[in-house]
Amino acid sequence: MKADRTSFRAPRFFRHGVSEMLVTAVLIGLALLIVLPMVLPWLFVFKTQLEYAYGPWSLPKHLIVDNFVEAWESIQIGQGLINTFIVCLGAIVCTIPPAAMAGYVFARFKNRYTEIIFYAVMAGYFVPVQMVLVPLYKMSSKLHLIDTLPGLFLPMAAFGIPFWVLIYRSFFRSLPADLVDAARIDGAGEVRTFLSVMLPLAAPATILALILVFIGAWSDYLLSLVLLNDQSKFTIQLRVSQFLNAYGTDRMPRYAAALLISSAPTILLYCVGYRWIIRGTLAGALKE
Amino acid sequence: MKTRTKTKLRRAAFVIAFLLPAFAFLAVFLYYPIEETFRLSVMKSSGLGKDVFVGLRNYAKLLQDDDFKAGLWHVLTWAFWSIVIQIPLAFTIAFSLTFYKNKLTGPLRAIYYLANVLPSAITAMIGMLVFSPGYGIINRLAEAFHLTWVTEIDFFGNPSIAFWTVFAVATWAYTGFPIIYLMARMEQIPTEIRDAAELEGVSGWKYARFIVLPMVAYPIRILAVLCTVGSLKLFDLPYLLTKGGPGNATTTLGIILYQQGFINWQYGIAAAIGVVIFVLSLGFTVLQFSASAGKDSYEG
Repeated sequence: MKADRTSFRAPRFFRHGVSEMLVTAVLIGLALLIVLPMVLPWLFVFKTQLEYAYGPWSLPKHLIVDNFVEAWESIQIGQGLINTFIVCLGAIVCTIPPAAMAGYVFARFKNRYTEIIFYAVMAGYFVPVQMVLVPLYKMSSKLHLIDTLPGLFLPMAAFGIPFWVLIYRSFFRSLPADLVDAARIDGAGEVRTFLSVMLPLAAPATILALILVFIGAWSDYLLSLVLLNDQSKFTIQLRVSQFLNAYGTDRMPRYAAALLISSAPTILLYCVGYRWIIRGTLAGALKE
Repeated sequence: MKTRTKTKLRRAAFVIAFLLPAFAFLAVFLYYPIEETFRLSVMKSSGLGKDVFVGLRNYAKLLQDDDFKAGLWHVLTWAFWSIVIQIPLAFTIAFSLTFYKNKLTGPLRAIYYLANVLPSAITAMIGMLVFSPGYGIINRLAEAFHLTWVTEIDFFGNPSIAFWTVFAVATWAYTGFPIIYLMARMEQIPTEIRDAAELEGVSGWKYARFIVLPMVAYPIRILAVLCTVGSLKLFDLPYLLTKGGPGNATTTLGIILYQQGFINWQYGIAAAIGVVIFVLSLGFTVLQFSASAGKDSYEG
């Protein structure tokens, strides 16, 4: 890191110069533009509607929690959280093992047939969800998967698998082939080799997959909107959009509370794992 | 001899067994629905009664449909403006961050990407918080500074402004990705190049324009493709913020598809829109890559 910094320095004139300060000031301003809309609600949330209307920018005088309670109830966030967690878990379980297995095969057994199948899998990567929405809905109703959580996470997994096959394939390729031979000499079969030698070595890819599949399932809106109509099955995102439709910003303090509550999980997760999230996103993007 | 065929067979069994789960998922939830989309797009189908073959009539209907034309126009202009606004913005920010690498670089990069990670329902909530008439942040600020002309702007209700409001929210949310992507590419530029430029006394502007920009030309082309394909698929933000309205001022192909398929129950027409989205994204991808064919000489 340190060597990097010294070798990537600005030309003499710019180094620690006025322009560096100016540019940094602008960059900080832009960062504030990102953060402020997420922070400002704290200023509103402890006020009554009347207080907000007359003094939106003043500091709150008392710490009332009414707005939080009301928002929590109107979003029914408890139920939404449970549903969303089940969907995330289901998406993880249905995406990662099939993708890891297929990625391993594509990396290790490269021949004419596996290559053809690989391209067939990758074709799925370029299909927009919108394109298959109607048949998906029709099929789900036939299979009685509408208004069930598996009905949501199974197609989600199908849409995620191609990308993670690609990631796992390139990860397994980067591992030395000697490892497989060594395991073979030790008498391990193909499955054993995969499970106890190769898969543990692919842990970095698996961690990326865990985080990004979770975030993907957590954030989904369109699929949930189409495949879930029963309110008791609503995910948190559907509850949020329901709140948006039903109440809007008419009572800003309650709205601010709803926003703070519903964005908290994502922001917390990001604060803890942003390095992994960014690295994972880039790992995927730089592949192409 | 015999053991050899045995291992070969066993290996084949392993390959098939390991490909099967992934393939099963794709077959059921992707390949079959794709085939169905093409089939339904030439059918009159509403979920009730039998589907009737109508040839290309669904597509012909789309061409005469004002909402569809508006949606198509919006996604194309959306693609244009995101390439013209978001990518140069991202390039400038990414370059500034990599050029002046200091203690703030890491945290700033993390902050810029934060908005990308938010679910679109949350992004929409934030957009409402900022732009909503009456109690929104901009409105309150304008009132505090007695800017009555600003308080009178109806960001979501005025048909000629709504598109730009949604676009602003999207720019806020989605510029983070091109930033981190271009930064990663810029960091791969060999330091010798930078050192040489420095020795020659090249100014920061010239370094950005004539050395860094050509070196990230290929990544920028990829971003342009992603912008275009993303615009064609656009649904979440405009639907959450305006439902495509007022009228059809912010409608997109995705919204039209949703309305035709799940509000009007016109499966055939919705499937035809799905095919249009697919064909256009495929077409634009091929077009943008072949327009300046051949990969860039420099590639990370």
